[in-house]
Amino acid sequence: MRILGTMLLFFIVFPLVFVRRNSLFQITIMYITMIVAIFLVFIYAPTEKVQGIVQKIFYFHVSSAVTMSFAFFVVFIASIMYLWKNSDWWDAVALSAAEIGVVFCTLVLITGPIWARPIWGTWWSWDPTLTLSLVLWLIYVAYLMLRIDAHDSKRARFAAILGIVGFVDVPLILWSVEKWRTLHPKPVLIQEGGTTGLTSAMLLTFMVCLGAFLLLFFYLLRERISVLQSRHALEVLRHEIDEILAG
Amino acid sequence: MMVHLEGVIKRFGTMTALRGIDLKLQRGCCLGIFGPNGAGKTTLLKILATLTRPSAGTVHIAGYDAVKEAEKVRPLLGVLGHRTFLYGHLTACENLRFYGRLFGTKQLAERITEVLQLVDLVAHAHQLVRTYSRGMQQRLAIARAILHYPTLLLLDEPYTGLDKHAVSRLQELVLHLRSVSCTIIMSTHDLHRGLDLYDEIAIQCRGKIVYSGPSLGSDVQGFEQLYSAYVG
Amino acid sequence: MCKDSNSFIALMSGSKVFLQQVLALLAKDLKTEWRTREIFTSMFVFAVLVLVVFNFAIGADTELIRQVASGVIWVALLFATVLGLQRAGQLESEEDSLQGVLLALRDRSALFVAKMIAQMVYLLAVIICILPLCGIWFRIDFIACIGGLGIVFALGILGLSIVGTLFAMITLHTRAREVMLPMLFLPVSVPLTIAAVYATAQLIAGKSLGDIADYLTLMVIFNIVFFALILIVFDYIVEE
Repeated sequence: MRILGTMLLFFIVFPLVFVRRNSLFQITIMYITMIVAIFLVFIYAPTEKVQGIVQKIFYFHVSSAVTMSFAFFVVFIASIMYLWKNSDWWDAVALSAAEIGVVFCTLVLITGPIWARPIWGTWWSWDPTLTLSLVLWLIYVAYLMLRIDAHDSKRARFAAILGIVGFVDVPLILWSVEKWRTLHPKPVLIQEGGTTGLTSAMLLTFMVCLGAFLLLFFYLLRERISVLQSRHALEVLRHEIDEILAG
Repeated sequence: MMVHLEGVIKRFGTMTALRGIDLKLQRGCCLGIFGPNGAGKTTLLKILATLTRPSAGTVHIAGYDAVKEAEKVRPLLGVLGHRTFLYGHLTACENLRFYGRLFGTKQLAERITEVLQLVDLVAHAHQLVRTYSRGMQQRLAIARAILHYPTLLLLDEPYTGLDKHAVSRLQELVLHLRSVSCTIIMSTHDLHRGLDLYDEIAIQCRGKIVYSGPSLGSDVQGFEQLYSAYVG
Repeated sequence: MCKDSNSFIALMSGSKVFLQQVLALLAKDLKTEWRTREIFTSMFVFAVLVLVVFNFAIGADTELIRQVASGVIWVALLFATVLGLQRAGQLESEEDSLQGVLLALRDRSALFVAKMIAQMVYLLAVIICILPLCGIWFRIDFIACIGGLGIVFALGILGLSIVGTLFAMITLHTRAREVMLPMLFLPVSVPLTIAAVYATAQLIAGKSLGDIADYLTLMVIFNIVFFALILIVFDYIVEE
């Protein structure tokens, strides 16, 4: 049921990316969803019995994690398309998705410890999702640094390869971290609440929250891509003007 | 038609290095490309060498599409670029043997001796390339370029670092290669040297070929006038 | 039938050429290294430094040191790999020799395979030299599990070489090469590192190969996946 709900959300959300005409429409939808989500999280959703009010971070934490994974998936697809079609637009998509992905990854890394501390008594528990997020953060920050650093003409291509390699690595990282995790003593107060034993109210809240995050992602993606395109067009114009003046 | 370029455009990011190059060259011809810095001569040669792909346009070398069938084109090319492509910690012989093995050149040992004689480096054949002067390295690079009997030789500013003696050896080499139907494309700044070597000349300026036609022979003055007319 | 045998012959001769080119490239790299011994020396010395510093940092508790020995060895190898790759990259970019080499290659991935094998050779030499030292300093009997260790180290250095060579070629033209190479290489090779460290630790603690089968599988899959991936995208890396 959860999966169905998620897929439904994707299908609603995706076309909105390509509605080029009315970004006002998209912004409105996004804000409404966000306000509804906040309402649901803080007022509507029942307080979890064992964990208390801190559990509400879970909505933001897991939504961020899902959005982050989706962002890196977009980087993966865009990187392949860029290498295949050699079009600047796909390159802009990859870069934008990576930037936004790193932002959401940072959110995961911040909300994780905030959630963990009251529950498990420690800031960091090396659980698989959190550790995966940490490694991904390192990889995609390196991705961004590569874009700044590499020699101009090859910059985008190298980054595309990293975008592919990084994502392919994810299942391997997950597997290895999970194996590694089993060797570590678990923190004393393990509460496996959150994703299991959700009431339907909580589930609804989570879905809406996730939807809000995804809408935010798509909105940011669109805006960032258009900024990159504009900047590119500006550079081209500037070069042409230079040529005309020099000639 | 050995070399056929049509509408070749090359962009690096937002900068356009080549703005539509058309070039036709028969087999056995020697073409000299002249032009100021930044004209795009090196870029043009790199595209011919299949080191980089054009952003638009077609490149045909010996009938093959240099973009789609690059692996068929590469064995036919000999390239002399700005860098020597040599390994300093190996001797001249070892460098040539390495490239010979890569290209799969037959009867390699004899060929190595032959090219070393052509560039006058037999005496230094077993010295490490690190110890060579710039001129000697350039000569060895030329030897490397012709080692595998290329049918198209691309020389990017070959006179760099060569003294008078080496220059005349190079010119003899070019004549020799022309006599065996090797097609040669040479780019250079030098408006005076070896003008009678070329069959055809082209002047490149700001990414376009602004003049192309048969060589003026040894008419240095005439050529200088022509050059300043187009380049300024 | 005739066409089949023709294309088979083409494939075989293509493979023969590929092998010849790989061997030529490998011979050139190893010969250069043999003359200068720069890469091996810096890798070996650095690995020893890491081991020594870790010893001091952890303190005199021999039991503790034995437990972390596996991790320390692999950290030393990781950093030695980074160092070796950087030195090798420097040598290539001096005269832009890669361009000359690429012109001669029919299948450009021969370059990748040759570089990868060269890196493996250096790492193997380093391992052979530091293992006795580790045995003495960490008081571990490596001989007892040398068979299993051999497999783990073989898979490990294969993986490190594959991923390392990829990023070495990518960062060859970046400005801050010294920083970018480890930044890219270390996170991506986390699965390999984890598997290698724990497989080695288990072997040292007396477990058999069957116990570490999981880790070995991970390493094998890691190597296959990345090797295949790189062969596919290699052309995009070396093109101007």
